[in-house]
Amino acid sequence: MQVESLTKVYRTVRAVDQLSFALTPGTVTGFLGANGAGKTTTLRLLLGLAQPTSGKALVFGRRYSELQRPATQVGAVLESNDFHPWRSGRNHLRALAYAAGIPAERIAEVLEIVELSGAADRPVGGYSLGMRQRLGLASALLGDPKLLILDEPANGLDPVGVHWLRNFIRGFAELGRTVLVSSHVLAEVAQTVDRVVIIHRGRLMADAKLDEVAEPGESLEAAYLRLTGGGRQ
Amino acid sequence: MIGLLRAEWLKQRSIWSPLLLLACMVGLVVLIVALHGKTIPVRALSGESGQFEIAGQGQRLSTLFGALLGAMSITTEFRHGTIRPLLLATPNRGRVLLAKILVAVLMGGVFGLVAATVSIAVADVALSTRGIAILLTQSDVMSLLVGSAVAAALWAGIGVGLGAAARNQAAIMVALCTWLLFIEGVLFEAFGVGKGGWFLPGSLAREAIGRDSAALLAPGPAILLLCLYVVVVAAVGWMALSRRDVA
Repeated sequence: MQVESLTKVYRTVRAVDQLSFALTPGTVTGFLGANGAGKTTTLRLLLGLAQPTSGKALVFGRRYSELQRPATQVGAVLESNDFHPWRSGRNHLRALAYAAGIPAERIAEVLEIVELSGAADRPVGGYSLGMRQRLGLASALLGDPKLLILDEPANGLDPVGVHWLRNFIRGFAELGRTVLVSSHVLAEVAQTVDRVVIIHRGRLMADAKLDEVAEPGESLEAAYLRLTGGGRQ
Repeated sequence: MIGLLRAEWLKQRSIWSPLLLLACMVGLVVLIVALHGKTIPVRALSGESGQFEIAGQGQRLSTLFGALLGAMSITTEFRHGTIRPLLLATPNRGRVLLAKILVAVLMGGVFGLVAATVSIAVADVALSTRGIAILLTQSDVMSLLVGSAVAAALWAGIGVGLGAAARNQAAIMVALCTWLLFIEGVLFEAFGVGKGGWFLPGSLAREAIGRDSAALLAPGPAILLLCLYVVVVAAVGWMALSRRDVA
């Protein structure tokens, strides 16, 4: 995954400003920034949901829209609530599997992975936030992708859910796959990622290994605040 | 494309909204046809044209509900955010829109058939209870069934295109009701817009069932022109869906 001089301007606001970075295969990269720093916009540009004003956002060397069967290469969760509340979790996954050309047998597998098999036939409207996060993850895993992109996946999760998510992400990366996880919860990220990409006001502030971004004895939070000049937008 | 059609069909089957729309439509058809059959003077209902007018009430409602069904099939995706995982699974937005139009057209056609059938049946009962002889021929019944089905199907396609362009579910549903029930249904008829009014899409749906003495176009040309509306509105929806960012 590669971002080159990526810029997105909404009227007078430069949400993403000349951003460049690339992911190292087989690693978990934390994509850090305050609320409104441009993380979600960058992910939308990467995934073809928004068009850049200038620059490139490439996945496996191509624009997302040019990928052949993209769900088999990239799995992504951008929001925790992208479901119709009346539709069951299983039917949500089934519709996505049909649309992506993925065999229906895979649905039971991903439900098993995210531990939602027992609730799969209930309407999503009755799911807890943690269950919705896991259903979103199941959607992303349908195509057995090589790259996983998660936007604030720990938002609203209880400690058990956070622990589960952390183990899942580490396990995914240990299979040689790549994860980009955006977050503003630095303490959580520090326990999960290998590298960090820090952005502030749409601009790149750091792109380094976790142990390189902080000076000796410095916490990730302190390093973040130093790099972003206090962190406020 | 087959996968997208299966996905869209599953989406429509796996929520209650289409069935609720269908139930509302049937309820309104029963109510309106029964009221007309009960209140219109016997003299006006004794002729074939008066009876055809009553039995044709289902077409008006199925056109509206077909359009609402089509609009909801895409605005629901924006309302609940399911457009994001859908476009991640299938980034080709044109194909997504085409699949939605095809499924909506099919379901709209079913809405039209159901509405026309209920409308004819209720009209039959209402007229019989007042001792009025039924003069509708087999040809009338076929015109009502086919015309209503085609009109509702094509308006479902228009609904999808409008929904893709506007995205806001509440706004598009209010706009459709206002256009079909008020602007075309009342204002144009009350104040008259000349013969040009018959080229408007709501009027074309009425002309699709034929037999309106004031109509300008026969069912065939009216349906062809309505198809052209579908193509134009779908193209506008496709451009809006393709060019605009998904938040």
